[in-house]
Amino acid sequence: MLHEITLNVNGELHIVPVKSHHTLLTVLREQLGITSPKRGCENGECGACTVLYDGKPVNSCMVLAVEAEGHVIETVESLAKNGELHPLQKSFIEHNAVQCGFCTPGMLMSAKGLLAENPHPTEEEIKHALAGNLCRCTGYVRIIDAIKDVADHS
Amino acid sequence: MHPFDYYKPKDFDEAFAMLTQPGKKVIPLAGSTDIIPMVRDERWLPDAVVDIKGLPGLRDIKLVDSGPLCCAGQTAQCLYIGAAARMNEIAHSELVQQYASVLAQAAQEVGHEQVRNRATLGGNMGTASPAGDTLSALLVLEADVLVKGKDEERCIPALKFFLGPRKTALQPGEIILGVQVPPLPEGTLGRYLRISRRKGADLAIVGLSVMAIPAEGGYQWRIGLGAVAPTPIRVPEAETILATGHDEATVEKAIQATLAAARPIDDIRATAAYRREMVVQLTRRALQDIIAQIP
Amino acid sequence: MTKQTTDPVGKSVPRIDAYDKVTGAVQYVDDLQFGPGLYYGKLVHSPHAHAIIKKVDVSKALAVPGVKAIVTGEDTPHRMGLYMQDRYIFARDRVRYYGEPVAGVVAISEEIAEQAAKLVEVEYEVLQPVFDPYEAAQPDAPLLHPDMAEYQWPPFIFPEPGTNISEHFKLRKGKVTDEGVDPEVWAQCAAIVEKTFRLPQIQHVPIEPHVAVARWDLSGEVTLWSPSQSPFAQRDLLAQGLGIPHGNVRVISPYVGGGFGGKAGISIEANVVVMAKAVKGHPVKVRMTREEEFFCTNVRQSLYAHTKIGCDKDGHVLAMETAYYFGGGGYNDYGVNIARAAGYSCTGPYSIPNVKGDSHSVYTNTPIGSAMRGFGMPEIHWGIEQIMDRLADEIGMDPAEFRRINCVKTGDTILTGMKMPAVDLVQCIDKVTEAINWGKEEPPSAPHKKRGKGIAIMWKAPAMPPNPGSSAIVRFNEDATVNVYVGAQDIGQGAFTVAAQMAAQVLGIPYEWVRVSVNPVDTKYSPYEWQTVASRITWSMGNAVRAAANHARTQILEIVAKYWDEDPADLDIKNGVVISYKSEREQPLKKMVVYGLPNENYEGWQGGPIIGSGKFMPTYVTNLDPDTGQGARAVVHYTVGAQAIDLEVDTETGEVEILKIASAYDVGKAINPDLVMTQIEGGAVHGMSSAFEGMFFDENGRLKNPSLVDYKIATAMDIPKEIHGDIVETPLEDGPWGARGVGEHVMVQTAPAIANAIYNATGVRFDDLPLSAEKIYRAIHAQEEQEQ
Repeated sequence: MLHEITLNVNGELHIVPVKSHHTLLTVLREQLGITSPKRGCENGECGACTVLYDGKPVNSCMVLAVEAEGHVIETVESLAKNGELHPLQKSFIEHNAVQCGFCTPGMLMSAKGLLAENPHPTEEEIKHALAGNLCRCTGYVRIIDAIKDVADHS
Repeated sequence: MHPFDYYKPKDFDEAFAMLTQPGKKVIPLAGSTDIIPMVRDERWLPDAVVDIKGLPGLRDIKLVDSGPLCCAGQTAQCLYIGAAARMNEIAHSELVQQYASVLAQAAQEVGHEQVRNRATLGGNMGTASPAGDTLSALLVLEADVLVKGKDEERCIPALKFFLGPRKTALQPGEIILGVQVPPLPEGTLGRYLRISRRKGADLAIVGLSVMAIPAEGGYQWRIGLGAVAPTPIRVPEAETILATGHDEATVEKAIQATLAAARPIDDIRATAAYRREMVVQLTRRALQDIIAQIP
Repeated sequence: MTKQTTDPVGKSVPRIDAYDKVTGAVQYVDDLQFGPGLYYGKLVHSPHAHAIIKKVDVSKALAVPGVKAIVTGEDTPHRMGLYMQDRYIFARDRVRYYGEPVAGVVAISEEIAEQAAKLVEVEYEVLQPVFDPYEAAQPDAPLLHPDMAEYQWPPFIFPEPGTNISEHFKLRKGKVTDEGVDPEVWAQCAAIVEKTFRLPQIQHVPIEPHVAVARWDLSGEVTLWSPSQSPFAQRDLLAQGLGIPHGNVRVISPYVGGGFGGKAGISIEANVVVMAKAVKGHPVKVRMTREEEFFCTNVRQSLYAHTKIGCDKDGHVLAMETAYYFGGGGYNDYGVNIARAAGYSCTGPYSIPNVKGDSHSVYTNTPIGSAMRGFGMPEIHWGIEQIMDRLADEIGMDPAEFRRINCVKTGDTILTGMKMPAVDLVQCIDKVTEAINWGKEEPPSAPHKKRGKGIAIMWKAPAMPPNPGSSAIVRFNEDATVNVYVGAQDIGQGAFTVAAQMAAQVLGIPYEWVRVSVNPVDTKYSPYEWQTVASRITWSMGNAVRAAANHARTQILEIVAKYWDEDPADLDIKNGVVISYKSEREQPLKKMVVYGLPNENYEGWQGGPIIGSGKFMPTYVTNLDPDTGQGARAVVHYTVGAQAIDLEVDTETGEVEILKIASAYDVGKAINPDLVMTQIEGGAVHGMSSAFEGMFFDENGRLKNPSLVDYKIATAMDIPKEIHGDIVETPLEDGPWGARGVGEHVMVQTAPAIANAIYNATGVRFDDLPLSAEKIYRAIHAQEEQEQ
C-alpha cells in the first residue's frame, strides 16, 4: 500500500510517497537522501540509525515511515547551526570520540536526546542512555567523556 | 521485508473492522518494536497492520474511579495505563512510580533507551514473550486488563491473560485498551530484578517482581517470575510462606518454594539449571532488599 | 587556519577525519548514490554445512518480474584465494558451510531479489560435516577438499593434500625431535603444565555490515565500490580470478565503518562483480543483512590448542610443546597464514630454549575463518598466558616476576633463530603492575564478591608475505598547502591523521596545511598499498609518506639553494619558510612550490610544481626452513605489551565486573599519543567483550545466534570502571621516527588476563572460551562442592 505523507525532517517538510512496510530509516536514506542514520542491523539492536522523534531518540529502523507523519524528526544534519558545530560535535572531536565514525551520528542523537531531558547526567546515566548504541572501535570511553564535558559546561 | 498494508483507524469501530477483515491476517500495531523484527524474520507474515496508538485514551496514564468492569469494588481510585503508553513514559511517570513502583522499575529495564521510547505496555503484553519484563510486574500488581472487541469491553485479570508463549486471552479483533492497577495501601514496597548476559540492552534470563503489602500489622507478599516458564507466573506457595513472617528461615523456605515453581528451559541465553539458581539468588536479593526497607 | 601546529609528530593533533564524521558528511558505500540504473542483488545461501550440489534450477526465480539475471557456480569456473586458491566465487560442485553463496539474483529492487532468491531451487546430496578442528585434522575425518593437490598456494604454505590440513607449520628449536622435546629437558623441570584449550569462532561485528556495488561496463572496465581494508588486494584477486587486466579493474573504497580484519582480503565483493557482469552497464548493489554478516562473511577462526610448558625451580622456562589446530572454515584462502603466524610465534612473548610447535589450519564446515584483529595471537595467548600463570603458581613465584624473567628481550635469539629487535616488555610489565597496585590485596565491594588481579603479556608481528609494499605521493598547492596521497585505508585507527602529521613534519609546514586525498581510496588514482592489515600502516605507509615528503623537500631545498647560491645542507624548512642557517635568509614556500623561482634579473626560471613520491618495502625477511621454522629473519618486527586487570566476581551469579584494566604497549614512538590511547582503550573493551563472545552452531552447522539479539557485544554499560593506558617508546630501527604498530595488540591478551584475575579471585580456571556468568558460577560452585 502506498501512502502520500508529509515528513518533517530537520525543520523541512517533505511530501513523499511511502510504502506501508517501509521503515523511516529506508525512507530517510533512500527517498530523502538523508544518509546520516546508518543501516547497521535493521533490528533495533545497534543504534546506528538513531534519530530524534519528537525530541526523543528512537531507532529509525523500528518505526514505519507512515507512522512518522505529524512528528518532528531530527538527524545529525540538523545539529550544526549557522555554520557552527553543535557543542556535542565539538566535544566529540576534542575528545577523539570518533574512530570509524559509523556509530557517530546515532551516538550524537542519543546524546542530544539525553541532555535535552537530563542536562547534567551522571556517568551511569550516560552509559544507560547509550546502551542501545553499539560501538566496536572506541570502547565508549571517549564518547562518555565527550558527553560529560558538554553537560559539565552548560 | 514481507510487504503489508497499514491502516490508521479513526475510532474503535473502524479499528475492529480493519482487524477482522475476513481471510486476512491483521495485527494491531503500537510501538512497532516487535512487529518490525518479527516480520523481517518472517515469523509473522501479516497482510496488514492496524495502528491503534492514536485511538482515544490509549496513551493515558491517570487515576480512574473503580469501574463496572475493571477495578470493580475498589473504594479508592485505580491507576490506569493506556496500552499505547511507552515504556519510558511509564518508567518516568510519577503516578506509576507512586502507585505501581515495581512496574516503573520493570519498564526501565526493557531493551534500551530507543526501544523504551517506542515500545508500549500493550505491545509487551500482546507479544506475551515469557521474558517480557513488565509482565511479572503486572501479575504481582494484580492488574486488570481492559480489552475491547466489536461492541463491548471486558476485563481480564492479568493473572488469566497470559496463556502461553505469545498466546493471550484476547479474542480475534480484540485490542487491549489498557491496564488498571488496583490501589495499594501506603507503605507498599516493590522490587523488580533481572539478570541478563550483558548489562545493557539484553533480554532477561530471569526476571522477578516482588511486592510486600502492609496487611493486618504484617505484610502480604506477592512474587512473580519471568523467563522461567511458558508464561510469567505467580508463586502463591512462596507468598503463603512469607505471610507467616520474614525471618531468615522463612525467607529461605519461600525461596525454595519460588524455585519449585520455576519450570525453565535451556536456550541459547542460559541453561535451565542456571535459571533455577538465579531464581534463588534474585528472590533472595529482592526479599532482603524489601525487608531492609520495612520500617 | 587559525591554529598552526608545527612539528606535529609526537603531538596529539585532532583527527583529520573527525569533522566530516560528526556532521554526517562522511559517505560510506551504502550512502553513495548510483541513480535510477542501480540494480540490487541477493545471495542464495546453502542450507547445508556440507553437501554435493546435484542441480541448480533458476527458472522459477528468473521468471519473477523485475529479475534481471541470476548467476551460479557455472559462471565462476576459476578458483580464487589470497594465499590458498581454494574457492569458487559461487559454489560449484560442493558447499562447505551453511550459508555459502550458491547463486546470486539481480533485480530492479532489493525486495524482488530477496523474493526471487527463495525460488532458486538447489538439489543437494548431504554429506557428513565436521566442525571441530582437531577432529577434522584426523585421517578418518570427512574430507572437504578432495582436490586440494590441484590447488595453488605460495611457497611458504605447506598443505597436506588428502587431509583437511591446509597448512602445517613446524617449529623445532633446541633439543627437540619430531617426537618432542628431549625427555632430559623435561626431567630438569620443577613444574610442568599440560592443557588443552578451545576457542569458538567469533565475529568482528563492525557496525557497518559488508556492502558492495559493482559495475561491469560494456568497455570491459570493472568498478567495485566496497568498504575495504584491501582495495589493491581486491583488485589483484579480481583481475586474476576473472582473467582481466589489472588496469581494467578499479576498486573504490570510501571510509570503512569498522574493519577489524573482517574487511581485509575478499569476501562477498567477487560475488557482486560476477553478478554485475551479468547485467553489464548497470551498477549492482548487494548489502549483507546483519544475519548474513554473521554466517556469510569472514569470522575469526576457532582453535584447539594442546600445550605443555615446563620451568625449573628458579622459574626459568625450559621447554614447550604445542599443537595448534585452527578451525579455518570451509575455505582457508586467508586463514592458512594465520596458522603460519601462530606457528612462528607459537611461544608467545617468551624466550624458551627448547620448542616443538606444530600449527595447523584445518578445513571445517563452518563460516570462513579469516583475519581478525590479532591474527591468531589472541587465540594462542589464551592458553599460553594461563599456563605461565599456573607455572608461576606451582613454583611459588609471583606471576609478574615470572614474566619479567622469561619474556623476550632485545637481542634474544627467539624461537625462529631471529634476533629480537629492540623492545622493552619488562617496562610494560612494570607500568601495568604499578597501575593496578599489583601484589596488594584489596577488599571486594560486598561480602558475596571476590576480588582478584591478573596479568598477561603479548607479542605480535605483522603477519604478511615477506615483501608487502607501500607508496605515497605529496603534492604542493600554490599556497604551500599539501595534498598527501596514500593507498592505505582509515578504518578508524587514524591512518590519515598520522600520514598528515608525518608529511608536515618532514616538509616543515604546520599540520593544518596538509590534506589527505584518499577519500575514497581509489586504485585508479591512489598510490599502491598492499593492505591495511597487520598493524603495519603507521610503520609501512609512514615510511612511504616520509620518503615522499623527503623527496619533495629535497627538490625544494635544491631550488632555493641554487637561487641563493648556497649549499642545500645549510638550509631547512621551518613553519612553511625555507631558511638558511648560514646566511639567515628566508624564502616562504608559498608560490615557489608551484611557480618556482626566477633566476637573477629574471633571466629564466627554475623549479616547478613540486611532487614527491616515496615507497617502502621490507627487503630483509628470509625464508624459514619447512622442517624447523628456522631462518635469519622470520618477521619484520614485534610489538609487545602487557595488561593487568583488577576485577570482582559475584559468587552468587557468576557475573564479572572489571574494576580496572591497565595496558602498556611498546609502540616505538607515538606519532599521535592520544590516538594510541584511543586504540588502547577501544582494544581493552574489544578484548574484554571477545572473552564473552561465541558463535554457536547446531548439529547441522547452522548458526544459532546470527543476530545482535543473541550475539552480544559489550555496550557502554559493560565497560570496565577504569581504563588506564601507558605508552612505552623503544624506537624501532626502521620505523618512521621509531614507530611500530599498535592496532591489534591492544586486545591480544585481554581474555587470559581476565581469566588469570578470575583465578586469583576465585581459584577456578577456564580452559575454554567463551566465558559467561553461568560458566563462572558453575565452576565456582563445582569447586566449593569438591572442597566439601
